[in-house]
Amino acid sequence: MTRPLWLITLLAGLLLAGHALAQDPPPVRGGTVTVAISADPPGWDPTLSTSQEIARVTYGNVYEGLVRFDRNGEIVPALAAGWQVSTDGLAWTFTLREGVRFHDGSPLTAEDVLFKFDRARDPDSGHVNQGYYAAVADVRAPDAGTIVFELTQPSRSLLYNLARPDAIIYPAALAETQRSQPVGTGPFRFARYVEGSEVRLERFDDYWNPELPYLDAATFRIIGDANARIAALQAGDIDLIGGAVPPEQVRVLQANPALKVASGTATAEITVAMNNSRPPFDDLRVRQAITHAIDKDAIVQGAFFGLGTVIGTHMSPSEAYYLDLTDTYPYDPERARALLAEAGYAGGLSFDFELPEPYAFERRTGEIIAQQLREVGITVNLSVVEWGTWIQRIFLAADYDMTIIGHSEPRDIDIYARPTYYYRYDNPRVAELLAEAESAPTAEAETAAYQAIARIIAEDAVNVWVFSPANTAAARADLYGFWTDQPTPAIDLTRVYRAR
Amino acid sequence: MTRYLARRALTALVSVWLASVVVFGAVLAVPGDPAALILGMNAAPEALAAMRTRLGLDVPAPARYLRWSAGVVTGDLGESLQYQRPVGRLIRDRLGVSLPLALGAALLATLLAVPAGIFAALRRGTLWDPLLVLATQVGAAIPSFWLALLLILLFAVQLGWLPSGGFPGWDVSLGGSARALLLPVLALGLGQAAVMARLTRAAMLDVLSQDFVRTARAKGLAPFRVVGKHALRNALVTLITVLGLSLTNVFIGSIVVEQVFALPGLGRLALTAIGNRDYPLLQGVILLYAGTIVLLSFLVDLSYGWLDPRIRYA
Repeated sequence: MTRPLWLITLLAGLLLAGHALAQDPPPVRGGTVTVAISADPPGWDPTLSTSQEIARVTYGNVYEGLVRFDRNGEIVPALAAGWQVSTDGLAWTFTLREGVRFHDGSPLTAEDVLFKFDRARDPDSGHVNQGYYAAVADVRAPDAGTIVFELTQPSRSLLYNLARPDAIIYPAALAETQRSQPVGTGPFRFARYVEGSEVRLERFDDYWNPELPYLDAATFRIIGDANARIAALQAGDIDLIGGAVPPEQVRVLQANPALKVASGTATAEITVAMNNSRPPFDDLRVRQAITHAIDKDAIVQGAFFGLGTVIGTHMSPSEAYYLDLTDTYPYDPERARALLAEAGYAGGLSFDFELPEPYAFERRTGEIIAQQLREVGITVNLSVVEWGTWIQRIFLAADYDMTIIGHSEPRDIDIYARPTYYYRYDNPRVAELLAEAESAPTAEAETAAYQAIARIIAEDAVNVWVFSPANTAAARADLYGFWTDQPTPAIDLTRVYRAR
Repeated sequence: MTRYLARRALTALVSVWLASVVVFGAVLAVPGDPAALILGMNAAPEALAAMRTRLGLDVPAPARYLRWSAGVVTGDLGESLQYQRPVGRLIRDRLGVSLPLALGAALLATLLAVPAGIFAALRRGTLWDPLLVLATQVGAAIPSFWLALLLILLFAVQLGWLPSGGFPGWDVSLGGSARALLLPVLALGLGQAAVMARLTRAAMLDVLSQDFVRTARAKGLAPFRVVGKHALRNALVTLITVLGLSLTNVFIGSIVVEQVFALPGLGRLALTAIGNRDYPLLQGVILLYAGTIVLLSFLVDLSYGWLDPRIRYA
């Protein structure tokens, strides 16, 4: 039912993208840009915090890892010039790129790489996402230009995890000061940070790719208010808003010849999360009924001007193993009422639905869903919850009935294998399939295992996956080379330039 | 007088101390975990525990309060969890934006409101009075964040005269920094002026209807001297109270305006601190707000006796 619509949108998008590419003028060296971000991050070290604001500024600009994502989400060489995997899948060998220097002038060495992955696997180091390296038994450097990851079992996700924002390498000697003074190998060096105001990056002249970057400098200005960001762009005070432009502003910006708007994919799934361990959500029929009651198309078209893709499981269209499961339990209020009656709620049902205060898309979606649920006889008590409280009570303590949040982490379907996760969904089959995917002999087998998980959780109606919002960026018309898709949260300026 | 001063100062100090206890307690009562906010949604429980220890959150709350208040007495407000810098230094940096903003807005409000209020009071019965009253009613009703957006759309987007937001820093550009504060001062000051003008008008009308004004007029004093020397002097007590309140208002109101104009001020520092559960920073900022409010009301109280000799302190 929804497929033709998103297909048409996608095709139109591809056509537009192709058109834009064909028209892009040749890159120009020099110039500066000012980019909006929305908040001060908790320090600048991406290995100490998963704050996306850190990644937006530093990923690909200041810091690089052995490999990285390009603008299409492909994993491409960065500090490693190339890599090989042994036939048993238990040894990954990376060849370090030669002649790479850190911003402080020191050369990149195998010791820096070993130091990083020792830290990443040390539970006392404060390094985030240590689970990513669970399969790594040892990391060693047989010679100065080679790094070998030895695994206890084949790991399909190792390469992907090595491309993530926290897998970056900095000088071992400067590990303690990265929080305030980042030093990486990227095309820009971190020049100045005025808290609450701006961050300035300057061209790194010794970057390993002598042709990049094009710009001389970039300033990230911290503007918390979405309307103020738009006004700053219109006034010419900033050149680029990397994403999350409010859909209702898109037409206004498109009408301005000095500006352009680009819409691409992102990795978030707007998810109505249900506490599967709590009545009435412990009854599959109730979860199915809730899914049947929600008209996702109406939400995307009506409240988001079509800037998003309706989804039916915990996968965004930007994932390599994406599967459209929107027809598992399609919008069908009659069926919803019947299922509720079957479950013993013919007379109606009532529970709490808590919306996270900082997230406008989720709040807006939640308000519409409350209305849609009412039409099948479900009364929800809507309330807005402040973010720290949301994390503490809902996310960590799972003390809630229903909430809504955008899960923006890419490749995060593994959360359904954790019974303690705030969905409180317990199905050992998911963990089995996850292990199968990790050790799959081929990419096809890996995809099949992931898609099997996607099907199981969709059929179990663990949550209602509403849609994946498009990433909408806006820029001055003379700015080229910025990312329109967000395979990972980043405002990569490596190939950004101003046309003359 | 000295005894009054001492007693009043002691009350002020106790108020600030009470505020510090309330602040500390309120911050604790709000659910939320700074470690979880720093480490993100996928953090492992062990990593969270390690981070809490690192942040000093494993110490019981009363001990933390004692340690913190002992620091405050010696001028040490602790270190921000998010920025990992001394709270005192962070606050000092932000005052460079918030102080000029608040003072500028209060000055603008006074310069507009006092003449307008007096004028409206003197022109009572003419068309001027209801016109001014209407204007102040509209002005007081417009929320400052909305006015701020309108000002940005007009002066930054349409006309391009002034920046839409941001702050270059006094050390980088003196003129640029002053320009960056113009629209925020307007957005904050205009609404305040409307409120103050209404109160000024009411105070003047009250004084003008009193016997001594009629006497002054009857003995043939020039209208200018009646208003300037007799009426205004007597209305001043009300006006100073209003000014004290409005300074408090602009100080608090700047939180919203700083957000819209992306100014690195104290208000935004407070908002960031709340969002990140940066307890030391939040306590420091709120303590400063509380201290300022207590100090202002103390100064206003003192000024009464100086302005109106009939008021005696016992």
